[in-house]
Formats: sequence, structure tokens, C-alpha cells
Amino acid sequence: MKTKMSSRDKTFWAITIPVLVLFFTFNTLPMIKGFIYSFTNYRGYGSYDYVGLRNYIDLFTDARVGKSYLFTFKYALSGTVLVNVLALIMALGLNSKIRFKSALRGIYFVPNILGGLVIGYIFSFFFTYILPALGNALDIEFLKNSILASEKYAWIGVLIVGVWQAVAMNTIIYISGLQTVPREVYEASMLDGASKWREFWAITFPLVMPFVTINLVLSTKNFLMVFDQIMSLTRGGPAQSTESISYLIYRNGMDGGQFGFQSANAVLFFIVIVAISVFQMTVMNKKEEQL
Amino acid sequence: MSKRKITGRRAAALGIAVGLLALTGCQQDGQDHRVQVELVSYKPEAVAAFEKIAERFNETHTDIYLKVDSPNEAMTILKTRFIREDYPDIVGIGGDINYSNFLDADLFMDISDLEELGQVKQSYLDIDKELEFIPQDGFYALPYAANAAGVLYNRDMFEQNGWEIPNTWEEFISLCEQIQAKGILPLYLGYKDTWTCLSPWNALAVGLSDSDTCAQVNRGENTFSASYREVAEKIRTLLDYAEPNPYAYSYNDACTAFARGQSAMYPIGSYAIPQIKSVNPDMNLDSFTFPANSDAQDNVLNSGVDLQFCVMKNTPNKEAVYEVLRFLYQDETIQIYLDDQGGLSCKDSDFALPAELEGMRPYIESDRMADYQDHHYPSEMSVDAMIQTYMLDTSDGALDTFLTRFDTDWARYNRDLIQKVQQYQKEASGK
Amino acid sequence: MKTKNKFEDFKPNWVLTIVLILGTITVFFPLYMAIIIAFKQPSEMTNDVAGALAFPAKWSLDNFKQAMEVTDFWNSLGNSLLITISTIVLSVLIHSTAGYAIGRAMARKKIFRIFYLYIVSGMFVPFSILMMPLVKQTAQMGLGNRLGVILLYVVFYMPMNVLLYTGYLKNLPLALEEAADIDGATTWSAYWKILFPLMMPMHATVAILTALGTWNDVMTPLVIMSGTGQNTLPLAQLNFQTQFGTNYNLAFSSYILALVPILIFYVICQKQILDGVANGAVKG
Repeated sequence: MKTKMSSRDKTFWAITIPVLVLFFTFNTLPMIKGFIYSFTNYRGYGSYDYVGLRNYIDLFTDARVGKSYLFTFKYALSGTVLVNVLALIMALGLNSKIRFKSALRGIYFVPNILGGLVIGYIFSFFFTYILPALGNALDIEFLKNSILASEKYAWIGVLIVGVWQAVAMNTIIYISGLQTVPREVYEASMLDGASKWREFWAITFPLVMPFVTINLVLSTKNFLMVFDQIMSLTRGGPAQSTESISYLIYRNGMDGGQFGFQSANAVLFFIVIVAISVFQMTVMNKKEEQL
Repeated sequence: MSKRKITGRRAAALGIAVGLLALTGCQQDGQDHRVQVELVSYKPEAVAAFEKIAERFNETHTDIYLKVDSPNEAMTILKTRFIREDYPDIVGIGGDINYSNFLDADLFMDISDLEELGQVKQSYLDIDKELEFIPQDGFYALPYAANAAGVLYNRDMFEQNGWEIPNTWEEFISLCEQIQAKGILPLYLGYKDTWTCLSPWNALAVGLSDSDTCAQVNRGENTFSASYREVAEKIRTLLDYAEPNPYAYSYNDACTAFARGQSAMYPIGSYAIPQIKSVNPDMNLDSFTFPANSDAQDNVLNSGVDLQFCVMKNTPNKEAVYEVLRFLYQDETIQIYLDDQGGLSCKDSDFALPAELEGMRPYIESDRMADYQDHHYPSEMSVDAMIQTYMLDTSDGALDTFLTRFDTDWARYNRDLIQKVQQYQKEASGK
Repeated sequence: MKTKNKFEDFKPNWVLTIVLILGTITVFFPLYMAIIIAFKQPSEMTNDVAGALAFPAKWSLDNFKQAMEVTDFWNSLGNSLLITISTIVLSVLIHSTAGYAIGRAMARKKIFRIFYLYIVSGMFVPFSILMMPLVKQTAQMGLGNRLGVILLYVVFYMPMNVLLYTGYLKNLPLALEEAADIDGATTWSAYWKILFPLMMPMHATVAILTALGTWNDVMTPLVIMSGTGQNTLPLAQLNFQTQFGTNYNLAFSSYILALVPILIFYVICQKQILDGVANGAVKG
């Protein structure tokens, strides 16, 4: 038995090492270089000087950066909750005995593949012209002005589009999770005469728990890194109320000449998301074990 | 699943790996003995014009082969190529902060010995000089084409109503009142894409502040609070004559609205004309210089270098590159470009003025022009968004908040540059 | 919600079906707008709601034809397909194996738990910080081409996919491999023979998610392969946007064309997820 296990371990090592090398070369190595740039005033080209911790000190005094963190967290929290609730409901619906199952699954997937330009144009049109027209017709004050033009509510517009696009992906993962639930389990519960509601919480939910963890981690990450929706809908406006962290890092680091400073921002951001995700995974793993 | 299927899969994986290796093969250029000159232009919309130009050049030259590349997202591509140290010979870029930065990064060659520089209109040479962070000896760019910004207007609408082109700020405001009284919207702004806020801003600023304001601030001789106060006040006044809630409408919405006759005027640059005409090809439009001052004598046309050629410092083929530049600067070549792209030539020669810029003729002919002020703003400072924020701020202190922020943010985003400039000054005065 | 027993066949839940059909309006409405814009001429564009929602003046495929010319459609499509398919195949093979090795080993060995967190944390690195160093690195390694893009994708999607595979493996009992062990099979062959096929629903999921990310991606090919003369579809689609003007009509027809292959691929994968149940998980 002992020799057997060690050959099993050998296989694991043999698989893991090349993968780690590949990962190190194309992810960690460039990241280390980025980390080094975070101590410089590098513009992305030309010469640069080391500026010590200046970029990091600036990070904590820059109101714009602070605002972008607040916006991003508010957005990510709302988005993650909404998407997961919706995706789980959708997955249950699309996985049950319905007609046109394949067609429906295909249709609900479309939002995920539409490109930024299409999304930007159509939803801008929707928020700028259609909703206000509706608001005027029905005399609903809130809808009369484009919400994308409102400092207070523009983030909700971005959120709606973000959720609309993200639901598909999380639904797919939940559907594949639901496939791992053995049918016999339900058959047993049927015999006990459990109600659908109880059946879900007592049987389905615990069994798809690992997928809830995955989905929470993935959607938190995706929402924290929100970029595409901002680019296509608001470009950070109005009045800089929808500037996300990724948007700032990209816009000022790549387009602008702040590569060094934004690298520092990226390092900080990386640490923050890793902390959040590790926390999430630890909590969820505990939950999984309990169930 | 059967065993056969799995081995099949492994074979497929191997096949892909082999196929991938084949993909790494490099591509070759088959231009045998000629010296190749590579020009990267940042204007993908002008690809047809440059193809034509390159074709003509290559027909007439047996020793040099001109290769023009007009990629999308050219600035990103140029920056990544600089990182790779894969330099083209010539770059065609705009006269803006990117030029200042590239020049400051010591990427360009001094082309003072190119005789074509003597044919460039003086304002454009001045504009390029002002774009230098630290005053340089020599010249580093050959200005090629320019655009102009002011106010576009619907000529048919003006003629039907007998409206006159305004020459002063007061005339402009009373014109707006007149138009409004007719139940027509005077202006369309489309401030959703923040950058559009810069269009009236620039057009006002050239008339109301010095063209080297930013350099003055960097030298510590001026503040934005002092020079931009009037600009900021006047840009806010425009809101009274524009569509309600302009922050809801994008550049594209504004172009469409103006093209559909929903407003009489549109304060934007000549660069918007193709987009407007795509919606309404028959539109009869013209433009005029933004009358920012109460005295017409003080008004200046906002015009900047839309395309200029810079030679990369380490090109091995200086002679061939100069031959290309000479060809590009021939009147016939410039005409090919203008026919395709519209706009103004930077060369001091007789080119037909596009009908849409007729109203700006006096300024263009007398060379009364100054650059877009935003060509001096670092893009990471997002001045456009600051202006939008200011206009959305309805509190009493909005103006002061904005101007103070402009000064403090400027100092923060230009810290290294200001230090460099002041260092240079110290050295210069010490000599 | 589920069949009471396998043999009592299909009594569709019509209420649910109708609710789900009504829900597709949220998809069909934007799609409808995209399609009519794709058929219109620029001169038909308007800000007026009724006008914007109206049918185009004539239904002609000219826009599609022109969009295909502008994007050099078949070549760009070929590159996009090549990159996406290679990435998917490599991802499914490499990531599932890695997920298996790390997932199984980390239950007993702490060091593998660290490897797991190390790889998964790579998911949170903003691409912007990697971009410039990667441009230089790939150029130095001679990977400033399609192969480089594929390799980068395999690395970029590794964290997410390893997370997915290890998560899925939690629901596959160890007993399966132990049985194979007793039969004398090596860990390696037991994996390919037993576990790999069992993970079919997850392969399909990974394939879809990876395909989605690569198919629409602009940034990676833009910075890595620029200058090779090769275009992917999203790169070619940048042709429709310049600084001061966008041809939405051609752009939309091009986007609709690009949507078709990935939609077909999705439908195929969906079937795999369903089939996975029939021959897979339940039997465990």
C-alpha cells in the first residue's frame, strides 16, 4: 500500500510541476516585473526613475482612487448577490421538466456573447431614450431622465447590464452542478413526501454547495474587475461616479502615462481581492463541511 | 468511455501541439533589394488614402519601398512596439500629449535639415514647439494635416431665418436667444462621452487664455484659477441654450441629432463632419470660429495638428526616410490625402478649403490659430471628466471648487514634469 | 421538480415553460435592435424611439457582405477559430489533469493546498499590470504570434478552470480510483480511463467559459500579435470604430456574424452537459 501511494504521489508531482512552471513563466514572472515597476515613475516606454514608496503613499491620499474602490465594492457586492440568486433560479428552471429546453438555454446564453460595442449602443439607447419615453408616458418621475446621466443612479444602469450579461455564465455552472445530484436522492425524498421548498433546501442546495462556492468566488472576482460595461456605457461618468478600479488601472496606466502608479494600484487591488476570495473560500468550505 | 477514444484524444493533442509549432514561423517581406521604409499611421480611417500614396511612391521609386501600416488602436500598438524595441522608421501621429511624451522619451530624430520644414505654416510650427515639455533645439515633426474646431451650424436653417454668424460673445448669446425664441434648440452638446466637454472648452480657451498657459503654470508663472475662470464661466452659460440634461446624450447622439436638424448649431470640431454626413449626406453645413471675446479682434481659431510625421531616432535609413517625407509633402500627394480626409493642409500652399470650413476662412488665411489646450493635458488627469463634474455641480461654490481642483490636480499629475521644467529653468538662467 | 421515476416520462411543466419564454424578452428585445441596426443604412439612424425600433427600409444583405469584406472575414474567422479551439482543447486537457492532481493531492498534502491557492490567486491579477511585461517577454521568446496568444490564454484561464475542476472532483468519490488501483491500473491511466470521461459536464462548462473569454477578447491579440499581419475577428472589428466616428450598421452585422459560431458551439456543449448525466455522475 505504501509504495502504491508513493507512485500515486509521483504522478501528482509529475503533473503539477510542469503546470506550475508554465504558470510561473507567464503569470508570476510578468507580475513580479509589474511589481518592480510599481516603485518607478515608468510611463510604459522611455526611461524611468525609482521613486521609492511614493506611488504607494499617493494611493492612500488620492481621492479618485478611494472613490473607485468604494464604487467597485458597492457594485461587486450588489452584483454578486443578484447574479447568484438569479442564476440559481434560472438553473433550476432550465433544468426542470420544461418544453424547448435546448432553445431556451441557448437564448439565455446570448447576452454573454454580445460584444461591448453592441451592448453599449443598445443599452445606452434603452436608458437614454426608451426608458425616459416610458417614464413620460406613464408619468413615473424616476424614469423621466436617463439613469446613466445621474450621478446617483448611473451605477445601477451599469449594474443592470453587468448582471444581465453575467447571469448566463453562472447559470451554466449551476446547471452542471445540478447534474451531479443523483436522481435517486430525489426519489427518496419523494417517498418521504417532502415539499419542493424543503427538498431544495434540504437536498439540492447542500449538494450544489461546492458550486455555490465556485460561483460566488468567480462572480465576486468578475464584478470586482468590472471594466467592459464601464467602457461601453459610461466611461466612468457622469462626474466620475462610475470609475471602477480596473477602469482606472487600464485608462491611466495604459492610455495615460501613469504605468508605475497604476501598477502600485494593481498590486494593492490584487492583495485586496485575494484577501476577499480566500476569506470567501474559507467560510464556504466550512459551510460545505457542515452540510 | 472506451480506451480507443482516449488514445484518440491524446493523438489529437499531439497533432495540435505540432500544428502550433508550425504557427511560429515568421513572415517575410518579399521586397528584395529595395530599402524598406515603414510608416505607421495612427489614422485607420485614412487607410485608403495612404494605400494610394504608397502605391504611387513605389511606382516611382526603384530603390525605396514604402510600407504604410494604419492599424486600429494605433497608439496602443505603437507603445507595445516601443516596448519590444521594434521601431518603424516614421510614425504619423497627432500633435498632442503623446507627441510631447514620445519626444520627451527621446524617441524622435531632429529633422531640421529637411528643407520641407520651410514650407510649413508658421502657426503649426509654433504649435509643435509649444508641445515640447523642455524647449528643444531643432524640429522633430513635420506637420501634415490639421483640423479646426469652433461651431458647426446648419446653413439652411440660418439662411431661412436670416441669422448672422456672430463675431463676439454677446452676439453669440443674442443669436442663441433668437434661435430659442423660434422654438429651435440653439446648441446640441452631447456631454455623455466626457471628452465632448473638451470641444467647447478648447474653443473658448484659445480665445480667452494664452496658448502656452500650461507651460506658464509649469514654470510657476501662472495658475489655472487665474487663466481659466472666464472659460469655466462661459462654458456653463452654454448649458442654457442646449438640450436639457446633456450628460444623457453621447457624441454619436449629438451628431445624429444635429444631422437631423434637432439643433441649429453644434460646438464641435471638423473631425465630426464625416459622422454627421453619414446620417444626413445632403446636409448643408458650415462652421465659424467660436466668438469667445467681446472684441472680435481677440478671437482665435482653434486648430491643431491632426497628423504629423516624426522620424524615429534610430532609423538606419535617414536618406530614404527623407525621400519619403519629400514625396509626402508634394502638393499632389497632400491633395490625395485631403480629398479623402477633408481638413486643412499644414503646408503653406493653395489648397481648396472644404465647404464646411468656409466660415473660418479669414482666420485660416491670416494664420490666426492656436492649438487645442487639451493637447497639453495629461490624459490620466481626465480634465474632460473634471469639466463634466463641474457642470453637474450645481452648488454655489462650484466654480471655485473646480478651479482649485484644476490647480492641485495639475500639480499632482505633472509633478515630475514640473520638477524637470523648473530644473531646466534654473540651469538655463544659471548659464 | 424531478421525475418521480425514470420510466414515467415527461410531463412538461407548462407554467414554468411559459414564464421562461416570457423571460426571453430581455434577450430578444436587445437582439431585435441589434438585428435591425445591422440591416439599416447609416442614413436611417435616428434618436427617435419609434424610428429606431422600425424595420429597415429594405432587408438587404449588403451590410453583411461589406462587413465581411472590411474584416477579411474568412481569414479573421480562421484565426479566431484556430486560437479558440486550440485554447479549449489545451485547457480541457491540461487544466483538468492539473485540477485532478492538485485537487486529490491537497486533501493529504499541505504543499498542494498552497499550489492550489497560488494558481487560483492568479485569477485576480489585473491584466493591465501583466500586459507590458508580457509584451516584452513574449517578443523575446519569439512568441509574439498566434502561438503566444494561445499559450497566454491557457495560462490566463488556468486559475478559473482549476478552481472549477477541483470543485467538481469533490463530488466524484475517491472509491472510483481506489477500485482501479486494486485492478492494478496506474494513477495516470485510471485518471484518463475513469475520471476524465466522468468529468464530461465540467469539460463542457470549461470549454464554454474558455471559449467565451477568448472569442471576444481584443486586448491580448492586439498587444501580442500586432504587426504579424494576422487578425482575429474582434481585432478586425475595430475597423468600424475610429476616434471620431463609428459605423454601427456594419459593426452590428459583423458582430452578428461573429455570434453564430460561438452560439452553435454552446448548443453542442450544452448537450454534453446533459449527456454527462446519463453516462456519468449518477452511476457513481
